[in-house]
Amino acid sequence: MEHILLLLLILFLAKVFGEIIERAGFPSILGEIFAGVFLGLLWFEPGGEVLSFLAELGAIFMLFTAGYMEVNINELRKASRLALTPTMFSMAIPFLLGYLLGQAFGFGFLASLFMGVAFSLTSIGVVVKTLIDLKYLSSRPGSVMLTSAIFDDIIGIFILAILVTIATMNQLPSGMQLLLIVVKLAGFMLIITFMGLKVYPWLFNLVHRMHVKEGIFAFVVMVALFSAYLAEVFGLHAVIGAFIGGALLSDIPFAKIESVQNKVSGLAYGIFVPIFFAFIGLSMNLGGVQTAGLFTVLVIVLALAGKLIGGFVGSKLIGFEFHDSLIFGIGMMPRAGVELVVIAVGKDMGIITDEVFSAIVLMVVVSVIVSPILLKFVIQVNKSKKQQLPTIKD
Amino acid sequence: MPENYSDIFIKDIMTQDVIAVKEDDPVEHIFELFDKYHFNTYPVVNNEGKLKGIIDQDIMLEIIMFHHIHCTKQTHMAAVRSLGESAKEIMIPHPVTISPDANLQDAADMMLKHHINRVCVVENDKLVGIISKKSIISEVYKKKEAEWWSIYSCCC
Repeated sequence: MEHILLLLLILFLAKVFGEIIERAGFPSILGEIFAGVFLGLLWFEPGGEVLSFLAELGAIFMLFTAGYMEVNINELRKASRLALTPTMFSMAIPFLLGYLLGQAFGFGFLASLFMGVAFSLTSIGVVVKTLIDLKYLSSRPGSVMLTSAIFDDIIGIFILAILVTIATMNQLPSGMQLLLIVVKLAGFMLIITFMGLKVYPWLFNLVHRMHVKEGIFAFVVMVALFSAYLAEVFGLHAVIGAFIGGALLSDIPFAKIESVQNKVSGLAYGIFVPIFFAFIGLSMNLGGVQTAGLFTVLVIVLALAGKLIGGFVGSKLIGFEFHDSLIFGIGMMPRAGVELVVIAVGKDMGIITDEVFSAIVLMVVVSVIVSPILLKFVIQVNKSKKQQLPTIKD
Repeated sequence: MPENYSDIFIKDIMTQDVIAVKEDDPVEHIFELFDKYHFNTYPVVNNEGKLKGIIDQDIMLEIIMFHHIHCTKQTHMAAVRSLGESAKEIMIPHPVTISPDANLQDAADMMLKHHINRVCVVENDKLVGIISKKSIISEVYKKKEAEWWSIYSCCC
Protein backbone atom coordinates (compact mmCIF):
# COMPACT_ATOMS: atom_id res chain seq x y z
CA MET A 1 0.00 0.00 0.00
CA GLU A 2 2.76 2.44 1.00
CA HIS A 3 4.56 1.85 -2.30
CA ILE A 4 1.42 2.68 -4.26
CA LEU A 5 0.93 5.90 -2.27
CA LEU A 6 4.58 6.87 -2.73
CA LEU A 7 4.41 6.22 -6.47
CA LEU A 8 1.22 8.26 -6.71
CA LEU A 9 2.77 11.16 -4.77
CA ILE A 10 6.00 11.09 -6.80
CA LEU A 11 4.20 11.18 -10.14
CA PHE A 12 1.72 13.83 -8.94
CA LEU A 13 4.34 16.15 -7.43
CA ALA A 14 6.80 15.60 -10.31
CA LYS A 15 4.18 16.66 -12.84
CA VAL A 16 2.81 19.58 -10.77
CA PHE A 17 6.27 20.94 -9.86
CA GLY A 18 7.49 20.24 -13.40
CA GLU A 19 4.62 22.30 -14.83
CA ILE A 20 5.24 25.22 -12.43
CA ILE A 21 8.97 25.23 -13.25
CA GLU A 22 8.38 24.93 -16.97
CA ARG A 23 5.93 27.84 -16.94
CA ALA A 24 8.60 29.84 -15.13
CA GLY A 25 10.82 29.21 -18.16
CA PHE A 26 13.05 26.40 -16.86
CA PRO A 27 13.11 22.71 -17.81
CA SER A 28 10.71 20.38 -15.99
CA ILE A 29 13.58 18.19 -14.76
CA LEU A 30 14.12 20.78 -11.98
CA GLY A 31 10.53 20.37 -10.82
CA GLU A 32 10.95 16.60 -10.80
CA ILE A 33 14.10 16.87 -8.64
CA PHE A 34 12.33 19.34 -6.32
CA ALA A 35 9.44 16.87 -6.00
CA GLY A 36 11.93 14.34 -4.60
CA VAL A 37 13.54 16.92 -2.28
CA PHE A 38 10.08 17.93 -1.05
CA LEU A 39 9.10 14.31 -0.34
CA GLY A 40 12.43 13.82 1.47
CA LEU A 41 11.73 16.87 3.64
CA LEU A 42 8.29 15.49 4.51
CA TRP A 43 8.94 11.98 5.69
CA PHE A 44 9.91 9.63 2.89
CA GLU A 45 13.17 7.70 2.77
CA PRO A 46 14.81 6.74 -0.55
CA GLY A 47 15.93 3.38 0.83
CA GLY A 48 13.03 1.22 -0.43
CA GLU A 49 14.00 -1.45 -2.95
CA VAL A 50 10.88 -0.91 -5.06
CA LEU A 51 11.59 2.80 -5.53
CA SER A 52 15.27 2.32 -6.33
CA PHE A 53 14.35 -0.37 -8.88
CA LEU A 54 11.79 1.94 -10.52
CA ALA A 55 14.41 4.73 -10.55
CA GLU A 56 16.89 2.37 -12.20
CA LEU A 57 14.28 1.60 -14.85
CA GLY A 58 13.93 5.39 -15.23
CA ALA A 59 17.67 5.74 -15.94
CA ILE A 60 17.55 2.78 -18.35
CA PHE A 61 14.57 4.14 -20.28
CA MET A 62 15.92 7.69 -20.34
CA LEU A 63 19.13 6.55 -22.02
CA PHE A 64 17.34 4.02 -24.21
CA THR A 65 14.99 6.75 -25.46
CA ALA A 66 17.96 9.07 -26.07
CA GLY A 67 19.61 6.43 -28.28
CA TYR A 68 16.34 5.28 -29.89
CA MET A 69 14.78 8.65 -30.67
CA GLU A 70 17.57 11.22 -30.79
CA VAL A 71 20.61 9.48 -32.27
CA ASN A 72 20.83 9.10 -36.00
CA ILE A 73 23.95 7.08 -36.81
CA ASN A 74 24.25 8.63 -40.29
CA GLU A 75 24.20 12.12 -38.78
CA LEU A 76 27.31 11.30 -36.76
CA ARG A 77 29.52 11.22 -39.84
CA LYS A 78 28.42 14.71 -40.80
CA ALA A 79 28.82 15.91 -37.22
CA SER A 80 32.33 14.53 -36.87
CA ARG A 81 33.89 17.05 -39.26
CA LEU A 82 32.45 20.07 -37.53
CA ALA A 83 32.04 19.38 -33.87
CA LEU A 84 34.75 16.93 -32.82
CA THR A 85 37.38 19.48 -31.70
CA PRO A 86 35.08 21.74 -29.64
CA THR A 87 33.39 18.67 -28.12
CA MET A 88 36.70 17.12 -27.06
CA PHE A 89 37.88 20.35 -25.43
CA SER A 90 34.56 21.04 -23.75
CA MET A 91 34.75 17.55 -22.24
CA ALA A 92 38.47 17.27 -21.47
CA ILE A 93 38.92 20.48 -19.43
CA PRO A 94 35.95 19.98 -17.05
CA PHE A 95 36.96 16.31 -16.73
CA LEU A 96 40.42 17.38 -15.63
CA LEU A 97 39.04 19.96 -13.19
CA GLY A 98 36.59 17.43 -11.70
CA TYR A 99 39.34 14.85 -11.28
CA LEU A 100 41.77 17.35 -9.73
CA LEU A 101 39.10 18.67 -7.34
CA GLY A 102 38.42 15.11 -6.18
CA GLN A 103 42.14 14.55 -5.65
CA ALA A 104 42.55 17.89 -3.83
CA PHE A 105 39.83 16.91 -1.35
CA GLY A 106 41.44 13.54 -0.77
CA PHE A 107 38.93 11.33 -2.59
CA GLY A 108 40.08 8.06 -4.07
CA PHE A 109 41.12 7.55 -7.69
CA LEU A 110 37.73 6.14 -8.71
CA ALA A 111 35.66 8.79 -6.91
CA SER A 112 37.77 11.49 -8.60
CA LEU A 113 37.26 9.81 -11.99
CA PHE A 114 33.48 9.73 -11.43
CA MET A 115 33.59 13.44 -10.59
CA GLY A 116 35.55 14.08 -13.76
CA VAL A 117 32.97 12.25 -15.88
CA ALA A 118 30.05 14.01 -14.15
CA PHE A 119 31.76 17.35 -14.87
CA SER A 120 32.45 16.55 -18.53
CA LEU A 121 28.94 15.95 -19.89
CA THR A 122 26.45 18.43 -21.37
CA SER A 123 22.68 18.60 -21.82
CA ILE A 124 22.07 20.89 -24.74
CA GLY A 125 18.26 20.63 -24.46
CA VAL A 126 18.28 23.20 -21.65
CA VAL A 127 19.64 26.01 -23.84
CA VAL A 128 17.84 25.07 -27.08
CA LYS A 129 14.79 27.10 -25.98
CA THR A 130 16.96 30.17 -25.28
CA LEU A 131 18.68 29.84 -28.66
CA ILE A 132 15.29 29.60 -30.36
CA ASP A 133 13.84 32.58 -28.48
CA LEU A 134 16.83 34.73 -29.42
CA LYS A 135 16.81 33.41 -33.02
CA TYR A 136 20.32 32.05 -32.53
CA LEU A 137 19.76 28.34 -33.16
CA SER A 138 20.74 28.59 -36.82
CA SER A 139 23.87 30.61 -35.97
CA ARG A 140 27.26 28.90 -36.20
CA PRO A 141 27.62 28.34 -32.42
CA GLY A 142 24.00 27.11 -32.28
CA SER A 143 24.42 24.50 -35.00
CA VAL A 144 27.80 23.32 -33.64
CA MET A 145 26.21 23.01 -30.17
CA LEU A 146 23.50 20.77 -31.63
CA THR A 147 25.98 18.47 -33.38
CA SER A 148 28.37 18.55 -30.44
CA ALA A 149 25.61 17.30 -28.13
CA ILE A 150 25.37 14.05 -30.13
CA PHE A 151 29.06 13.33 -29.56
CA ASP A 152 28.93 14.38 -25.94
CA ASP A 153 26.41 11.69 -24.98
CA ILE A 154 28.18 8.94 -26.93
CA ILE A 155 31.67 9.74 -25.60
CA GLY A 156 30.22 10.06 -22.08
CA ILE A 157 28.59 6.63 -22.32
CA PHE A 158 31.84 4.99 -23.41
CA ILE A 159 33.84 6.68 -20.64
CA LEU A 160 31.19 5.52 -18.16
CA ALA A 161 31.47 1.97 -19.55
CA ILE A 162 35.23 1.92 -18.92
CA LEU A 163 34.80 3.56 -15.52
CA VAL A 164 32.20 1.05 -14.32
CA THR A 165 34.41 -1.84 -15.39
CA ILE A 166 37.39 -0.36 -13.52
CA ALA A 167 35.12 0.29 -10.53
CA THR A 168 34.03 -3.34 -10.33
CA MET A 169 37.73 -4.27 -10.07
CA ASN A 170 38.02 -1.72 -7.25
CA GLN A 171 41.58 -0.77 -8.21
CA LEU A 172 43.64 0.78 -10.96
CA PRO A 173 43.75 -1.94 -13.66
CA SER A 174 46.96 -3.71 -14.50
CA GLY A 175 47.95 -4.34 -18.13
CA MET A 176 46.18 -7.70 -18.12
CA GLN A 177 43.04 -6.26 -16.54
CA LEU A 178 43.04 -3.41 -19.04
CA LEU A 179 43.12 -6.01 -21.80
CA LEU A 180 40.18 -7.75 -20.10
CA ILE A 181 38.21 -4.48 -20.10
CA VAL A 182 38.87 -4.03 -23.82
CA VAL A 183 37.88 -7.66 -24.52
CA LYS A 184 34.67 -7.27 -22.48
CA LEU A 185 33.74 -4.03 -24.23
CA ALA A 186 34.58 -5.52 -27.64
CA GLY A 187 32.59 -8.69 -26.84
CA PHE A 188 29.58 -6.66 -25.77
CA MET A 189 29.78 -4.38 -28.83
CA LEU A 190 30.18 -7.40 -31.14
CA ILE A 191 27.07 -9.17 -29.81
CA ILE A 192 24.89 -6.06 -29.61
CA THR A 193 25.95 -4.84 -33.08
CA PHE A 194 25.25 -8.30 -34.54
CA MET A 195 21.80 -8.20 -32.90
CA GLY A 196 21.20 -4.68 -34.24
CA LEU A 197 22.30 -5.36 -37.80
CA LYS A 198 21.20 -8.97 -38.33
CA VAL A 199 18.72 -10.15 -35.71
CA TYR A 200 16.53 -7.10 -34.95
CA PRO A 201 15.59 -6.29 -38.59
CA TRP A 202 14.52 -9.91 -39.10
CA LEU A 203 12.79 -10.05 -35.70
CA PHE A 204 10.79 -6.85 -36.22
CA ASN A 205 9.65 -8.07 -39.64
CA LEU A 206 8.33 -11.15 -37.87
CA VAL A 207 6.80 -9.26 -34.94
CA HIS A 208 5.02 -6.92 -37.35
CA ARG A 209 3.04 -9.95 -38.58
CA MET A 210 2.05 -11.08 -35.08
CA HIS A 211 -1.62 -10.81 -34.13
CA VAL A 212 -1.00 -10.12 -30.45
CA LYS A 213 -1.78 -6.57 -29.30
CA GLU A 214 1.05 -4.00 -29.11
CA GLY A 215 3.59 -6.56 -30.31
CA ILE A 216 6.11 -4.05 -31.74
CA PHE A 217 5.92 -1.76 -28.71
CA ALA A 218 6.50 -4.74 -26.40
CA PHE A 219 9.50 -5.86 -28.46
CA VAL A 220 11.05 -2.38 -28.44
CA VAL A 221 10.76 -2.41 -24.63
CA MET A 222 12.26 -5.92 -24.65
CA VAL A 223 15.24 -4.65 -26.70
CA ALA A 224 15.79 -1.97 -24.01
CA LEU A 225 15.70 -4.56 -21.24
CA PHE A 226 17.79 -7.12 -23.16
CA SER A 227 20.50 -4.55 -24.02
CA ALA A 228 20.58 -3.38 -20.40
CA TYR A 229 20.82 -6.97 -19.13
CA LEU A 230 23.50 -7.93 -21.67
CA ALA A 231 25.62 -4.96 -20.55
CA GLU A 232 25.35 -6.16 -16.95
CA VAL A 233 26.35 -9.68 -17.97
CA PHE A 234 29.51 -8.21 -19.51
CA GLY A 235 30.25 -6.27 -16.34
CA LEU A 236 29.11 -2.94 -17.78
CA HIS A 237 26.25 -0.88 -16.39
CA ALA A 238 22.68 -1.44 -17.62
CA VAL A 239 22.29 2.20 -18.81
CA ILE A 240 25.22 1.81 -21.22
CA GLY A 241 23.57 -1.17 -22.90
CA ALA A 242 20.23 0.64 -23.01
CA PHE A 243 21.72 3.65 -24.86
CA ILE A 244 23.56 1.53 -27.44
CA GLY A 245 20.56 -0.81 -27.86
CA GLY A 246 18.35 2.20 -28.56
CA ALA A 247 20.78 3.67 -31.10
CA LEU A 248 20.90 0.34 -32.96
CA LEU A 249 17.13 0.47 -33.52
CA SER A 250 17.42 3.85 -35.23
CA ASP A 251 17.57 2.32 -38.74
CA ILE A 252 14.85 -0.34 -38.37
CA PRO A 253 11.60 0.89 -39.99
CA PHE A 254 9.10 -1.15 -37.93
CA ALA A 255 10.83 -0.27 -34.66
CA LYS A 256 10.77 3.44 -35.54
CA ILE A 257 7.10 3.78 -36.46
CA GLU A 258 5.82 7.10 -35.08
CA SER A 259 3.03 5.53 -33.00
CA VAL A 260 5.51 3.10 -31.38
CA GLN A 261 7.95 5.94 -30.64
CA ASN A 262 5.14 7.88 -28.93
CA LYS A 263 4.32 4.91 -26.72
CA VAL A 264 7.97 4.36 -25.72
CA SER A 265 8.36 8.07 -24.99
CA GLY A 266 5.14 7.97 -22.93
CA LEU A 267 6.38 5.04 -20.89
CA ALA A 268 9.74 6.76 -20.30
CA TYR A 269 8.81 10.41 -19.78
CA GLY A 270 5.32 9.79 -18.45
CA ILE A 271 6.32 7.37 -15.71
CA PHE A 272 9.87 6.12 -15.24
CA VAL A 273 12.07 9.19 -15.92
CA PRO A 274 10.17 11.48 -13.47
CA ILE A 275 10.59 8.72 -10.86
CA PHE A 276 14.34 8.69 -11.55
CA PHE A 277 14.70 12.48 -11.12
CA ALA A 278 12.48 12.49 -8.03
CA PHE A 279 14.61 9.66 -6.63
CA ILE A 280 17.71 11.82 -7.22
CA GLY A 281 16.05 14.65 -5.28
CA LEU A 282 14.95 12.25 -2.56
CA SER A 283 18.51 10.90 -2.26
CA MET A 284 19.98 14.39 -1.77
CA ASN A 285 21.50 15.03 1.61
CA LEU A 286 20.77 18.72 2.19
CA GLY A 287 22.55 18.70 5.57
CA GLY A 288 25.64 17.29 3.87
CA VAL A 289 25.59 20.09 1.28
CA GLN A 290 25.63 22.68 4.06
CA THR A 291 28.51 21.08 5.97
CA ALA A 292 30.56 20.62 2.80
CA GLY A 293 30.07 24.31 1.92
CA LEU A 294 33.41 25.09 0.27
CA PHE A 295 33.48 21.78 -1.59
CA THR A 296 29.94 22.34 -2.93
CA VAL A 297 30.80 25.87 -4.07
CA LEU A 298 33.97 24.62 -5.80
CA VAL A 299 32.03 21.82 -7.52
CA ILE A 300 29.57 24.36 -8.94
CA VAL A 301 32.18 26.95 -9.94
CA LEU A 302 34.70 24.52 -11.46
CA ALA A 303 32.11 22.44 -13.32
CA LEU A 304 30.62 25.53 -14.94
CA ALA A 305 33.97 27.27 -15.52
CA GLY A 306 35.46 24.07 -16.98
CA LYS A 307 32.73 23.84 -19.62
CA LEU A 308 32.98 27.53 -20.39
CA ILE A 309 36.76 27.44 -20.82
CA GLY A 310 36.77 24.10 -22.69
CA GLY A 311 33.99 25.19 -25.04
CA PHE A 312 35.62 28.58 -25.58
CA VAL A 313 39.07 27.17 -26.40
CA GLY A 314 37.69 24.33 -28.56
CA SER A 315 35.50 26.62 -30.65
CA LYS A 316 38.30 29.21 -30.96
CA LEU A 317 40.45 26.45 -32.48
CA ILE A 318 37.93 25.87 -35.27
CA GLY A 319 37.89 29.58 -36.08
CA PHE A 320 35.06 31.06 -34.00
CA GLU A 321 35.19 34.75 -33.10
CA PHE A 322 35.51 35.80 -29.43
CA HIS A 323 31.78 36.32 -28.81
CA ASP A 324 30.69 33.18 -30.69
CA SER A 325 33.26 31.15 -28.70
CA LEU A 326 31.84 32.61 -25.48
CA ILE A 327 28.30 31.76 -26.57
CA PHE A 328 29.40 28.21 -27.43
CA GLY A 329 31.14 27.81 -24.06
CA ILE A 330 28.08 28.98 -22.11
CA GLY A 331 25.81 26.82 -24.25
CA MET A 332 27.81 23.76 -23.21
CA MET A 333 27.45 24.54 -19.47
CA PRO A 334 24.11 22.95 -18.53
CA ARG A 335 23.96 19.41 -17.23
CA ALA A 336 20.84 17.30 -16.77
CA GLY A 337 20.07 13.69 -17.64
CA VAL A 338 23.15 11.58 -18.33
CA GLU A 339 25.29 13.30 -15.67
CA LEU A 340 22.70 12.47 -13.01
CA VAL A 341 22.74 8.87 -14.22
CA VAL A 342 26.56 8.86 -13.88
CA ILE A 343 26.49 10.01 -10.25
CA ALA A 344 23.55 7.72 -9.43
CA VAL A 345 25.69 4.82 -10.72
CA GLY A 346 28.69 6.05 -8.69
CA LYS A 347 26.59 6.35 -5.53
CA ASP A 348 24.94 3.00 -6.12
CA MET A 349 28.37 1.34 -6.44
CA GLY A 350 29.49 3.00 -3.20
CA ILE A 351 32.22 5.02 -4.95
CA ILE A 352 31.00 8.55 -4.33
CA THR A 353 29.76 9.76 -0.96
CA ASP A 354 26.44 11.42 -0.14
CA GLU A 355 28.19 14.83 0.00
CA VAL A 356 29.72 14.48 -3.48
CA PHE A 357 26.39 13.21 -4.84
CA SER A 358 24.43 16.10 -3.31
CA ALA A 359 27.00 18.72 -4.41
CA ILE A 360 26.83 17.46 -8.02
CA VAL A 361 23.01 17.43 -8.01
CA LEU A 362 23.14 21.04 -6.79
CA MET A 363 25.62 21.84 -9.56
CA VAL A 364 23.17 20.36 -12.11
CA VAL A 365 20.35 22.50 -10.68
CA VAL A 366 22.49 25.69 -10.74
CA SER A 367 23.77 24.96 -14.28
CA VAL A 368 20.22 24.52 -15.57
CA ILE A 369 19.13 27.85 -14.04
CA VAL A 370 22.25 29.92 -14.77
CA SER A 371 23.13 28.83 -18.34
CA PRO A 372 20.03 30.14 -20.16
CA ILE A 373 20.21 33.47 -18.26
CA LEU A 374 23.91 33.91 -19.02
CA LEU A 375 23.44 32.84 -22.63
CA LYS A 376 20.64 35.34 -23.11
CA PHE A 377 22.80 38.11 -21.66
CA VAL A 378 25.86 37.36 -23.84
CA ILE A 379 23.80 36.99 -27.05
CA GLN A 380 22.05 40.30 -26.41
CA VAL A 381 25.37 42.08 -25.68
CA ASN A 382 26.79 40.57 -28.89
CA LYS A 383 23.77 41.73 -30.91
CA SER A 384 23.87 45.28 -29.54
CA LYS A 385 27.63 45.51 -30.21
CA LYS A 386 27.10 44.40 -33.80
CA GLN A 387 24.38 47.04 -34.22
CA GLN A 388 26.71 49.75 -32.88
CA LEU A 389 29.50 48.88 -35.32
CA PRO A 390 29.86 51.54 -38.05
CA THR A 391 28.86 50.28 -41.47
CA ILE A 392 30.63 51.16 -44.77
CA LYS A 393 27.82 53.64 -45.57
CA ASP A 394 28.47 55.48 -42.28
CA MET B 1 -18.90 -15.26 -44.91
CA PRO B 2 -16.30 -12.44 -44.82
CA GLU B 3 -14.83 -11.34 -48.14
CA ASN B 4 -11.34 -12.45 -49.05
CA TYR B 5 -9.12 -9.76 -50.48
CA SER B 6 -5.90 -11.74 -50.49
CA ASP B 7 -6.08 -12.16 -54.29
CA ILE B 8 -5.88 -8.42 -54.85
CA PHE B 9 -2.21 -7.49 -55.13
CA ILE B 10 -0.65 -4.14 -54.33
CA LYS B 11 1.00 -3.91 -57.76
CA ASP B 12 -2.49 -3.95 -59.34
CA ILE B 13 -4.01 -1.17 -57.26
CA MET B 14 -1.06 1.07 -56.32
CA THR B 15 -0.52 4.54 -57.77
CA GLN B 16 2.46 4.25 -60.10
CA ASP B 17 2.66 7.88 -61.08
CA VAL B 18 4.08 9.03 -57.76
CA ILE B 19 4.92 12.62 -56.88
CA ALA B 20 8.27 12.17 -55.15
CA VAL B 21 10.82 14.56 -53.71
CA LYS B 22 14.53 14.40 -54.63
CA GLU B 23 17.01 14.17 -51.76
CA ASP B 24 18.53 17.56 -52.59
CA ASP B 25 15.27 19.40 -53.23
CA PRO B 26 15.10 22.57 -51.12
CA VAL B 27 12.58 22.81 -48.29
CA GLU B 28 10.76 25.63 -50.16
CA HIS B 29 9.99 23.19 -53.00
CA ILE B 30 8.49 20.73 -50.51
CA PHE B 31 6.27 23.45 -49.04
CA GLU B 32 5.05 24.15 -52.59
CA LEU B 33 4.16 20.46 -53.03
CA PHE B 34 2.14 20.44 -49.82
CA ASP B 35 0.38 23.58 -50.97
CA LYS B 36 -0.34 22.25 -54.46
CA TYR B 37 -1.43 18.67 -53.72
CA HIS B 38 -3.54 17.16 -50.97
CA PHE B 39 -1.29 14.21 -49.99
CA ASN B 40 -0.10 14.00 -46.40
CA THR B 41 3.13 12.09 -47.14
CA TYR B 42 5.73 12.37 -49.90
CA PRO B 43 8.49 9.83 -50.59
CA VAL B 44 12.09 11.07 -50.87
CA VAL B 45 14.24 9.35 -53.52
CA ASN B 46 17.84 9.62 -54.70
CA ASN B 47 19.01 10.06 -58.29
CA GLU B 48 18.69 6.30 -58.91
CA GLY B 49 15.08 6.31 -57.79
CA LYS B 50 15.85 4.48 -54.53
CA LEU B 51 13.61 5.33 -51.60
CA LYS B 52 15.58 7.20 -48.91
CA GLY B 53 12.84 8.49 -46.61
CA ILE B 54 9.49 10.20 -46.32
CA ILE B 55 8.30 13.70 -45.42
CA ASP B 56 4.86 14.07 -43.89
CA GLN B 57 2.62 16.91 -42.74
CA ASP B 58 3.77 16.50 -39.13
CA ILE B 59 7.37 17.29 -40.10
CA MET B 60 6.37 20.35 -42.12
CA LEU B 61 4.14 21.62 -39.32
CA GLU B 62 6.96 21.05 -36.83
CA ILE B 63 9.36 23.08 -38.99
CA ILE B 64 6.94 25.99 -39.55
CA MET B 65 5.83 26.13 -35.92
CA PHE B 66 9.14 25.18 -34.30
CA HIS B 67 9.71 28.62 -32.78
CA HIS B 68 6.17 28.80 -31.44
CA ILE B 69 5.37 25.33 -30.14
CA HIS B 70 5.71 24.44 -26.49
CA CYS B 71 9.26 23.74 -25.41
CA THR B 72 8.68 20.05 -24.62
CA LYS B 73 8.28 19.53 -28.37
CA GLN B 74 11.57 21.31 -29.00
CA THR B 75 13.68 18.16 -28.88
CA HIS B 76 17.23 17.90 -30.16
CA MET B 77 16.09 16.05 -33.29
CA ALA B 78 13.37 18.64 -33.99
CA ALA B 79 15.94 21.44 -33.54
CA VAL B 80 18.32 19.78 -36.04
CA ARG B 81 15.42 19.29 -38.46
CA SER B 82 14.34 22.93 -38.15
CA LEU B 83 17.75 23.98 -39.49
CA GLY B 84 17.50 21.60 -42.48
CA GLU B 85 17.63 23.17 -45.92
CA SER B 86 17.02 20.15 -48.16
CA ALA B 87 14.73 17.11 -48.20
CA LYS B 88 17.41 14.72 -46.92
CA GLU B 89 17.99 16.92 -43.88
CA ILE B 90 14.37 16.92 -42.74
CA MET B 91 13.06 13.52 -43.92
CA ILE B 92 12.28 10.52 -41.74
CA PRO B 93 14.83 7.93 -42.92
CA HIS B 94 14.02 4.22 -43.28
CA PRO B 95 10.23 4.41 -43.62
CA VAL B 96 7.97 1.37 -43.46
CA THR B 97 7.49 -0.06 -46.98
CA ILE B 98 5.51 -2.81 -48.68
CA SER B 99 6.32 -5.13 -51.59
CA PRO B 100 4.28 -4.90 -54.82
CA ASP B 101 3.57 -8.63 -54.41
CA ALA B 102 1.91 -8.16 -51.01
CA ASN B 103 -1.88 -8.21 -51.01
CA LEU B 104 -4.53 -5.70 -50.07
CA GLN B 105 -5.14 -7.32 -46.67
CA ASP B 106 -1.45 -6.98 -45.74
CA ALA B 107 -1.50 -3.28 -46.61
CA ALA B 108 -4.75 -2.58 -44.73
CA ASP B 109 -3.46 -4.48 -41.70
CA MET B 110 -0.21 -2.44 -41.71
CA MET B 111 -2.03 0.88 -42.10
CA LEU B 112 -4.54 0.24 -39.32
CA LYS B 113 -2.02 -1.27 -36.93
CA HIS B 114 0.46 1.59 -37.25
CA HIS B 115 -1.81 4.54 -38.14
CA ILE B 116 -0.15 5.11 -41.53
CA ASN B 117 -2.11 6.75 -44.35
CA ARG B 118 0.23 6.08 -47.31
CA VAL B 119 2.80 3.30 -47.67
CA CYS B 120 5.62 3.40 -50.23
CA VAL B 121 5.77 0.35 -52.51
CA VAL B 122 9.37 -0.72 -52.99
CA GLU B 123 11.07 -3.34 -55.19
CA ASN B 124 14.85 -3.82 -54.87
CA ASP B 125 15.04 -0.59 -52.84
CA LYS B 126 13.47 1.36 -55.74
CA LEU B 127 10.22 3.25 -55.31
CA VAL B 128 7.71 1.70 -57.73
CA GLY B 129 4.46 3.10 -56.36
CA ILE B 130 2.45 4.21 -53.40
CA ILE B 131 -0.62 2.74 -51.75
CA SER B 132 -3.03 4.79 -49.68
CA LYS B 133 -6.03 4.08 -47.48
CA LYS B 134 -8.15 5.84 -50.09
CA SER B 135 -7.05 3.47 -52.89
CA ILE B 136 -7.81 0.43 -50.71
CA ILE B 137 -11.26 1.74 -49.81
CA SER B 138 -11.97 2.49 -53.50
CA GLU B 139 -10.83 -0.96 -54.56
CA VAL B 140 -12.93 -2.76 -51.94
CA TYR B 141 -15.91 -0.56 -52.77
CA LYS B 142 -15.50 -1.37 -56.49
CA LYS B 143 -15.49 -5.10 -55.73
CA LYS B 144 -18.51 -4.85 -53.44
CA GLU B 145 -20.41 -2.74 -55.94
CA ALA B 146 -19.81 -5.35 -58.65
CA GLU B 147 -21.15 -8.06 -56.31
CA TRP B 148 -24.23 -6.01 -55.39
CA TRP B 149 -24.95 -5.46 -59.07
CA SER B 150 -24.59 -9.19 -59.83
CA ILE B 151 -26.99 -10.08 -56.95
CA TYR B 152 -29.41 -7.35 -58.04
CA SER B 153 -29.38 -8.45 -61.69
CA CYS B 154 -29.90 -12.13 -60.67
CA CYS B 155 -32.90 -11.19 -58.52
CA CYS B 156 -34.44 -9.09 -61.25
